[in-house]
Amino acid sequence: MNGIYLSRLPWSGKVFCTLFLLGIGCGALAAFTQAATAIGLSPAEVQASLAPAMPMTHMSPGQMVGEKEITLGEISSAAKVWIRTPLLIQTSHTHLFGQTLIAGLLGLIFLFSSLREWAKALVLALPFVGTLVDIGGMWLTRFVWPGLSVLVIAGGSLFALGYALITVISLWQLWIGTVVRTSGIRGAGAPPSEASL
Amino acid sequence: MTRRMLGSLGAVVAGAVMLAGVASAHITPPVVLMSDRDAVVTLLAGAQRFFVREVRLSPAEREAIKRQTGWTPDEDFYRFYLGRDGQGRLVAGTIFVTEFTIHGPVRVAVSLGPDGKVRGATVVELTEETYPWVKPLIDLDFARDYAGQDSRGHFHLSDRLGSLEAMPQFYGQVISGLIQRAALLFELGVLRRGDAS
Repeated sequence: MNGIYLSRLPWSGKVFCTLFLLGIGCGALAAFTQAATAIGLSPAEVQASLAPAMPMTHMSPGQMVGEKEITLGEISSAAKVWIRTPLLIQTSHTHLFGQTLIAGLLGLIFLFSSLREWAKALVLALPFVGTLVDIGGMWLTRFVWPGLSVLVIAGGSLFALGYALITVISLWQLWIGTVVRTSGIRGAGAPPSEASL
Repeated sequence: MTRRMLGSLGAVVAGAVMLAGVASAHITPPVVLMSDRDAVVTLLAGAQRFFVREVRLSPAEREAIKRQTGWTPDEDFYRFYLGRDGQGRLVAGTIFVTEFTIHGPVRVAVSLGPDGKVRGATVVELTEETYPWVKPLIDLDFARDYAGQDSRGHFHLSDRLGSLEAMPQFYGQVISGLIQRAALLFELGVLRRGDAS
């Protein structure tokens, strides 16, 4: 982009980008583990944490009290987080800021890769779209239909896919790839765009 | 030119990293100390049969709670786990209550006897950020200070906790308020509505 490419960055730039990408990767692994242990990774587990609590006594909407005998096996033995609306608000605001900033920094590095424009745009959009699908899916699961919990998994997967592609391509171009092809935008004062492997 | 652009890029990245740091500082993963089943088994010790009772509060009951505690109940329904002896007599009831603080949720399980008095309470869920503040309270078994009190009791920190730092004391007040809410909900939802056994 504008004559600056990952493969041509000075050593300090390469070290910065590499350590940032690896650091975010470690953070992503920790976040994955946290999500797996606190919530779960299946749509059913996400649904159990996010969907509104349903009465165990099968109280009808206008009924004021219900009671039934249970066995201890009917009470959750899993140490799982139950996300209610105030926590959903808190989670949304922190994750929308945090993940969007991470997606922005990943995208900023990736802007200097030498892929074709359409491919670059597609890959760097993945973490942003993943974040919106992930957080949006949480709200839809709670307030629209519990079955939409699948969106939370899909959003997280999109974010992870975007991170993986950006990291692999960027690290390749930073340390291994060489510019092999010149093509694309040419115009008054515009430098040639390049593609590398 | 290239050096100036790299400088600008560095400034943008540094700013974004600072913003990401600020945002991530507010992400506080939950810490689940005990599953619901374990809490119920512990707090309903002595019970031979277990029941779940779910109660919707009337507008008058919600108003009464607000007048007494300043807190407005906002759940669709409240769930009580009731333990009975072999003859069906109420041994104790347990309810889970949550306060959503600025640092994240604090969830407490409270056990109450058939006389409406607190038998015990245990913190079941909090956040990474609040854990260091609540741990000194847990270590001091501070909830025993409220045993034997009903909803009209004094839910203040006892003198033995006076040496704690400000944040543990703050969370002590939060949790004692939750124990009082639980006592009031139990009184309205179980005792005043009669034992359905």
